[in-house]
Amino acid sequence: MRAIDIHTHPVFFGKGHSRREANEFAAYGQSNGIEHMIALGDVLVFGKDPTAKQISFINDQTADLIRWRPDYYTGFCCLNPTLGEKPVMREVERCVEMGFRGIKLEISNNARDACMKPVMRAAEQWDIAVLQHSWSMTNIRQRSYHSDPEDTCLLARRHPNVRVIMAHLTGCGYRGVLEAKGVDNLVVDTSGGYPEAGILDYALEHLGADHIVYGSDLPIRETSVTLGRTLGTDMSESEREKILHLNTRRILKL
Amino acid sequence: MLFDAHVHLGSWPFSFLPEYNAPQLAAHLKAHGIGRAAVAPLAAVLAPDPLPASRALLAAVRKVPALLPLPAVNPALAHWREQLDLAATGPLRAIKLYPNYHNYKLESPRFAPFFAEVAARGLRIVIGVRLEDERHRYFALNIKGVPVKSLAAFLKQYPKLHPLVLGLYLPELRELAKAAKNFSADTSCVEWIRSAETLAKEFPHDRILFSSHTPFFNTRAGVDKLTSGDLPAKVRTAFESANAERFFGL
Repeated sequence: MRAIDIHTHPVFFGKGHSRREANEFAAYGQSNGIEHMIALGDVLVFGKDPTAKQISFINDQTADLIRWRPDYYTGFCCLNPTLGEKPVMREVERCVEMGFRGIKLEISNNARDACMKPVMRAAEQWDIAVLQHSWSMTNIRQRSYHSDPEDTCLLARRHPNVRVIMAHLTGCGYRGVLEAKGVDNLVVDTSGGYPEAGILDYALEHLGADHIVYGSDLPIRETSVTLGRTLGTDMSESEREKILHLNTRRILKL
Repeated sequence: MLFDAHVHLGSWPFSFLPEYNAPQLAAHLKAHGIGRAAVAPLAAVLAPDPLPASRALLAAVRKVPALLPLPAVNPALAHWREQLDLAATGPLRAIKLYPNYHNYKLESPRFAPFFAEVAARGLRIVIGVRLEDERHRYFALNIKGVPVKSLAAFLKQYPKLHPLVLGLYLPELRELAKAAKNFSADTSCVEWIRSAETLAKEFPHDRILFSSHTPFFNTRAGVDKLTSGDLPAKVRTAFESANAERFFGL
């Protein structure tokens, strides 16, 4: 089995930012069959609205991980789109120069907001993917700044030349899967939430294996559990290969 | 083989969970290394009276020895003695409570006669804290997990009872463990990097029981969480089956 985890936070609320911890985190992944991880940054350590300086701090920590273990970590550039075009473009350029392969967006704003335009323009210009945190807002009343799958899918449809990763299959739910149907430039990652039965089967049926990528949300989640759900869901070996690593290689050009 | 402390038989209207009859469920569990399971009737969770579903469960698993029926009981209903009568006929001599779905508080003084009767009959108590992640449950089913405060008050009120509490999140388990010692817990909703090792490090080894929460959760995911953990052999055996066998008196 080969697997790449597209959704990890090796540095999480201040813990994990040392060469030793980076190596331990990598060793944990390798012992569970993960050959490579995408490090998304300590995205909520300063709350939902980090300043430009705080954003740079988070991305510098991710850059350290890549420097310490270039064989194991690929970085994504954490952004706060509400800071405006100049800070966004400057930070993306800086991150791309450090070797980052994508942009990570959390809950500073909703994915349908106008402030996303420069973000998506930067992604297109630098040919990098955008991973948008997404969760069903049916029971969570935070939609002014927290993206529902409907919002993330709208973002992808508005920017068909940008590769969009909609995070958290379980959180997006059945409605989210249906929103994603037919959005060619979008994949959904399997990270986050408990290993609920049925939802991955449903995503396979409606989106196909080309539009699903494996992710865990470590350290909030456990690799054995997130991988176990993928391995324990009925699918062909070629579908499993796509989900576990081939799609991520294609999307991130690894 | 594993003993699974948290399994349901039946269907659930709010999701596309896999549906099994009793022999299919036993075969599914066996394929994942689970030799026996305490199985509760899912239909009892939303029914106005759990007794018919519990009776149906006992009948359904009669010829499936791997599935040990765990009847649901609602102590807020007038016929709770009749419900306990049925539970006493099962091989586990245990009852499953769903306080949040059945709309009562465990610590309410009105249940003192009920729990006295349960103790007098030597029935074991299993408490279901939650079935689903509250963040994406069906929008009109506004049911939250049983609060830790309520569980702690209940455990304090009945220090001689030692229930099995199913479905606690790791922070809840930590909080409850600070407040009380007289309970056991399961693995189904405990998740963080290195979950099994965390449980072994932070909690008494004789009070953690393996569970997959089938069919709500993917069975393999629950099994792998425990079997991939780096645990001493004695602790592994305790979590996998020995603690459940002792709890249920098997």
